[in-house]
Amino acid sequence: MSDTCSCLGCNVGETVPDFRLETYEPAKGDFGEISLETLRNNGKWTILFFYPADFTFV
Amino acid sequence: MMDAEIITVSSDTKFVHLAWQRDEMELKGVKFPMGSDTTGKLARMFGVYDENTGLSLRGTFIISPEGKLMNSEVNFYNLGRNIDELLRKFRANRHLAEYTAEACPAQWRSNGDLTLKPSAKMVGKVHEAMGK
Repeated sequence: MSDTCSCLGCNVGETVPDFRLETYEPAKGDFGEISLETLRNNGKWTILFFYPADFTFV
Repeated sequence: MMDAEIITVSSDTKFVHLAWQRDEMELKGVKFPMGSDTTGKLARMFGVYDENTGLSLRGTFIISPEGKLMNSEVNFYNLGRNIDELLRKFRANRHLAEYTAEACPAQWRSNGDLTLKPSAKMVGKVHEAMGK
């Protein structure tokens, strides 16, 4: 197992490569951007919550 | 959870995120940033991208402040997640990051619950260590 995960799927225990996403931020009612690098630098845990699509049901 | 950022991610644009959050009453209380992964690049990075549909499976991932992936859970489209279990795993991770010699058993729920300190003495004696 390498230390940093490949592009084909991170394994538990590996380092996640930096990523950046455009966001909508309901708390501000505005658009924004978020990056793993910024979250790490702020000492934050990051929880990613993937789901298939907006306007779906579960 | 001041020390954690929850980010919801789908392949929708940020504009659709806005419309959905604004229109769906179930989402009125949502405060999390809603990430837009229109290329599926992030979903592929975590192995949850479905090439047949262009959609992402219900994957949940906890990343430590050092950038290490600590938990991975993937559900198919038709099964929702249990938030209590996600929060339990998050609390356990945070505890274990501080108390690195400990382990949280299956019954561990929150700080103050019994943890185990694996040692030579405990081998074959987990039952006793659990106070049973």
